Amino acid sequence: MPKILLVEDNEMNRDMLSRRLKRKGYSVISAHDGEQGHQLACSEMPDLILMDISLPLMNGWDVTRLLKSNPATQHIPIIALTAHALVTDRDKAFEAGCDDYDTKPVEFVRLNEKIDNLLTVKKS
Amino acid sequence: MILQNLSIKRKLTLITMLTSSAALILSALSFLVYDLVSFRHLLIQDLMTQAEIIGYNSAGAMEFKDVPAATATLSALTAKEDVVTAGLYGRDNKMFAYYSRYSNLIPSVLPAHLQDKGYRVEGGYLQVFHDVTLNGERLGTLFLQSDMRQWSLRAKRYAGILCIFVLISSLFALLVSSRLQRLISRPILHLEDTMRMVSANRNYEVRATKSYGDEIGRLIDGFNTMLSEIQQRDSALRGANEELKSRTGELEKEILYRKQTQEELLKAKHAAEEASRAKSTFLANMSHELRTPLNAIIGYSEMLEEEMRESGKSDSVQDLRKVQSAGKHLLSLINDVLDLSKIEAGKMGLHLENFDIAPLIDEMTTTLQPAAAKNGNTIHTQVAKGLDAMHADVTKVRQILFNLLSNACKFTDHGTISVDVDQSEFEGRNWIRFRVSDTGIGITDKQKENLFHEFSQADASIARKYGGTGLGLAITYRFVQLMKGRISVESEPGKGATFTVHLPAQVLAEGFESARPTAGNDVTPSLEKSKIQNDTILVIDDDAAVRELMSRFLSKLGFHVVAAANGEEGVRLARQVRPLVITLDVVMPGCDGWTVLKKLKSDSALAQIPVIMVTVVDNEAMGLDLGAANYLIKPVDRDRLAVLIEKHRPTRPASITGASAPSLGSNPQQHRREPERRGSGKVDHAKDLISRR
Repeated sequence: MPKILLVEDNEMNRDMLSRRLKRKGYSVISAHDGEQGHQLACSEMPDLILMDISLPLMNGWDVTRLLKSNPATQHIPIIALTAHALVTDRDKAFEAGCDDYDTKPVEFVRLNEKIDNLLTVKKS
Repeated sequence: MILQNLSIKRKLTLITMLTSSAALILSALSFLVYDLVSFRHLLIQDLMTQAEIIGYNSAGAMEFKDVPAATATLSALTAKEDVVTAGLYGRDNKMFAYYSRYSNLIPSVLPAHLQDKGYRVEGGYLQVFHDVTLNGERLGTLFLQSDMRQWSLRAKRYAGILCIFVLISSLFALLVSSRLQRLISRPILHLEDTMRMVSANRNYEVRATKSYGDEIGRLIDGFNTMLSEIQQRDSALRGANEELKSRTGELEKEILYRKQTQEELLKAKHAAEEASRAKSTFLANMSHELRTPLNAIIGYSEMLEEEMRESGKSDSVQDLRKVQSAGKHLLSLINDVLDLSKIEAGKMGLHLENFDIAPLIDEMTTTLQPAAAKNGNTIHTQVAKGLDAMHADVTKVRQILFNLLSNACKFTDHGTISVDVDQSEFEGRNWIRFRVSDTGIGITDKQKENLFHEFSQADASIARKYGGTGLGLAITYRFVQLMKGRISVESEPGKGATFTVHLPAQVLAEGFESARPTAGNDVTPSLEKSKIQNDTILVIDDDAAVRELMSRFLSKLGFHVVAAANGEEGVRLARQVRPLVITLDVVMPGCDGWTVLKKLKSDSALAQIPVIMVTVVDNEAMGLDLGAANYLIKPVDRDRLAVLIEKHRPTRPASITGASAPSLGSNPQQHRREPERRGSGKVDHAKDLISRR
């Protein structure tokens, strides 16, 4: 059962997404700010991270950069989730080292496909 | 000469005086001459009569040789003052008796030539000879000599009188003429004075006064007329001058006003641009704020739906679906607004990639099948066979088609919607034509005017009946423009509408032409050569990822990048844009890199452009033989590439060194990635993509 870390500050979104992911058969742990997200990533070593960008304490870009520069967590695929559907955000996401990118509101089927893909790549 | 330069006054006086004096002198002289001549004649007569009388009286004394008697007779001449001598000569011409007033000698013998009877004038003396006869017998000759005293006295007196008379009358003439000359000279002098005044003061208002109706009067009239003519012209000239001055002033004011207006306009423009940016930012932020709760609404309703289905409670599923559909509609509206704000902020980029058209059309018809079915419409598609793969932003092509098709479905009831796709070549480029026709309500000419403008649905009632924001076609239009295509519409109200979109088969990367889209129903793509010269790099590579990464990397170094997906296009673009440097791949479908290199080097216009080979094929010798400037083997060392290209830049605007490749992502306009790309998890994504080749 793949473990997914969901870093999201909005309670409703966090609740909704984690419930839906659990229904899809993932084990979900969640963090409500950037620092907690970083801690959990390091301690729990999830298989994949869903990263909101506008987060309190530390934003998603910085968390991603930290994780990707750490050899221990470098391999964990990160999907950036942001409501800013601007080109700049997409570029920032890749610049920070995100492996994929999606805009909110999440189209669950599409997000699920992206998660599947990244997990498959990781396995192979 | 002296006379000629005298004043007219003097001349006139002199002329009058001289003329009158000359006339006077002439007449007086003629009178004098006449009088003296007749007086002389009288004197001669008188002396001859005297001689006759004395001759008669002394005849006896001569007969009788009585000298004293003869002398006494002669002495009677004493009373005659002018008779100076007298003599009686005998027959023998010898002196008989004589008389002399001044003891003058008289000849004792009458000279022979004086013996004739008569008179003569000799030496100022009048001499008279008279025969003395008695009873018809000649006794001798009487000789009288007069000094004509009376005559000369008279002549002298006359001359004196004449002189005095001439003098007096001349003086009188001078007096009269000096008075009378004013008749002529005064108006002339007045005219002269006036003229001097006019020319000295440039005062054209003075007038000469006319005194008489003669020629001078007419001359003054003429002069005055001339003056008023000049005055008129002068005042007209002055008026024109004044007008010119005031016009110049007005013009200056106008120029100043325009300058001010221009500055104000510029300020207003800046303010408007600022406002537009603020609006775009606001819209972006708003859409963010709207999306977050929407995220929850859609997510929860989807989740609820799934849960209900699983637990078998399907009675509320329809309502949940309505919540979802409303949420998605709201989302699409927000997306539309966001798209537009991105376009307006200039932040809408193109994500160019190669794709096949036919599958795209299939996908679109499948997607829109439910929408078509809702109004009982059927969709027909006709895609020409053998279409090239398109190089464009597939998401935007998809959205263009989606917008056109969903409009067609919306505005058609139980009709047919057809999609035709074909390919054509004009203006030296390959174009893909998409035609979306329907048999719906159509569009009136008036509605066409605003068709592609934001928030302008054909009619307010349409929004109520059919829904929508009126943004769909505006976005479609902007997307078509972004890809340098064109869109047009033909329609007959009540019979349907046909939208035709032309897109280049090979859409060029942005920055190739930086002109912002302008309003209008038809936009012709064009190249702005001046903007792309000298700092343009042409990248020829069949791998879209390499093209994208190269263009991103080179853009960061400050170059314009033009990319070609195959050899033919590469050569064509090289001719078109004359790039600074060309990077060339070797292994490409169709025309390979070696062929391209040969073509480039055999074209005199292109042979000078340095070509850097960028390939996996390890054959540097061949590349250099064919004329390549440098040879790089993939995966490319970007630092080296930067150094090589920098060498060819004429002047370097920025101090970007090849040694430190700039970080990706700081400039959103010039590079981008596919969101769907599945990365391998490596940090250096770009290097990875370049080396995949």
